[in-house]
Amino acid sequence: MSGVLVVPPIAHGLVGRTDLPIPAWLFGWGAAVVLVVSFVALAVLWPRPRLEGAHERRVLHVPAWLEIPFGLIGIGLFVLIVYAGLEGAQVDTANLTPTFVYVLFWVGLLPLQVLFGDVFALFNPWRAVGRAAGWVSSRIAGDALPEPMAYPERLGRWPAAIGILCFAWLELVSTSRSDPSTLAVLILAYAAIQLVGMSLYGVSQWERYGDAFAVYFNLFARLSPLRWERGTLYVRALLSGVTTLDAVPGTVAVLCTMIGTTTFDGFSNGPVWSDLAPKVTDVFTSIGFGQATALQLAFTVGLLVVVGIVSLLYRGGAAGMRSVAPEHSTTWLARTFVHTLTPIALAYAVAHYFSFLAYQGQALAYLAANPLGRTLAEGDNGWLGTANWGIDYTWVGARTIWYVQVGALVLGHVAGLVLAHDRALKVFPDPKEATRSQYWMLVVMVAFTSLGLWLLSVR
Amino acid sequence: MTAPPLAHAGHWIASLLYVAPVALIVCALLWQSWREKRRKGGA
Repeated sequence: MSGVLVVPPIAHGLVGRTDLPIPAWLFGWGAAVVLVVSFVALAVLWPRPRLEGAHERRVLHVPAWLEIPFGLIGIGLFVLIVYAGLEGAQVDTANLTPTFVYVLFWVGLLPLQVLFGDVFALFNPWRAVGRAAGWVSSRIAGDALPEPMAYPERLGRWPAAIGILCFAWLELVSTSRSDPSTLAVLILAYAAIQLVGMSLYGVSQWERYGDAFAVYFNLFARLSPLRWERGTLYVRALLSGVTTLDAVPGTVAVLCTMIGTTTFDGFSNGPVWSDLAPKVTDVFTSIGFGQATALQLAFTVGLLVVVGIVSLLYRGGAAGMRSVAPEHSTTWLARTFVHTLTPIALAYAVAHYFSFLAYQGQALAYLAANPLGRTLAEGDNGWLGTANWGIDYTWVGARTIWYVQVGALVLGHVAGLVLAHDRALKVFPDPKEATRSQYWMLVVMVAFTSLGLWLLSVR
Repeated sequence: MTAPPLAHAGHWIASLLYVAPVALIVCALLWQSWREKRRKGGA
């Protein structure tokens, strides 16, 4: 896309690899060997479920009101980002809003979620406003305040899946993705939708199923050994948090969308899409669309097709399990094992966005010093004194990035195998049957690993 | 200038190398499933 329209200021694939000791494809073979060996080791050494129903230990309790300052910080940041987007310079590289949204928020929060639990929930501005509004309303109306409506079971996490897909569309397809004022308006619109959802179904219900970002970040927080709930900190076994994910309708769609959109991000930077995109664009121009619209439509089709392929691949793995358990439907098996996709979604995010965060993240130092992107006087370095800072592209090398990417993909997929094996032991009491049920999931994991490495190697 | 039809063959072959492990495991699973079916049929 960048070759035809404006070069995106926040391109994701920033560096190429050089001087690898072995060909890149051999890393793919090595990763496959690691997965097969892990699969065999699990079959032999992991005879009963260990993560399912693992206990968590309470280690700390703080007064619940201490959550209030975090919510206020979240609201403050929300106001700043919207204000900067609307009132600041309409230059994406000078205005804080695009970098804050795509780098700090969308990517930078991920390591915090995995390390410390659901940090986003603490800072979530619409959640803070919703809770405050609920508290004030209950004080004023007392018992007269009606109970929230019951959340429709069939709706499940579909609103979140659609929200994530829309955000990915904005980031990967829309030509206005870096326009500060457009972003600010969309942030306001998103917040308004969340407040309506919370007022209808209650803050916790909507946050759990409807708020796309709350669902997205909470999934990663489930991989963390830490969990916060109402001022209490619990410690649990690594990965055990994700086994408690309630696979309501739309949960498979959320995870497949997360993996599929990241896959499309990598794919759209590669040579196959470079060859294909003009052809698809020509189809749309031939039926009367302008060049820019046709290009966006072509990218939209590409995004949806890749999400569809990822969904089919996962469904194929679930269908393969029916060779052992024909009494279960593919849909039931896909939902029962959907949590195994969470570490894969994380692996894909780390592999694709590590260099982006490592380099573009540095821009936050100078953008935060001058959030509106105003022209500063000579010698004025903004309120933080860092407005004259730049991006150091040498602090992490191309080879290091490649190893981080490969490591993330391998670890993420091994974690996926561990979770799938553990769940299979719960579903199929005979360990041999449990292992046999996972043969096709192994194929899915190796396929996702190979796909991830191929995407990284060709761009 | 027309690009020779095999100009990108190197890219395609390199890309196919990533599919090889998946294909290998799928073949192994299909072979095992065929062997199991044959054994059950013989029993």
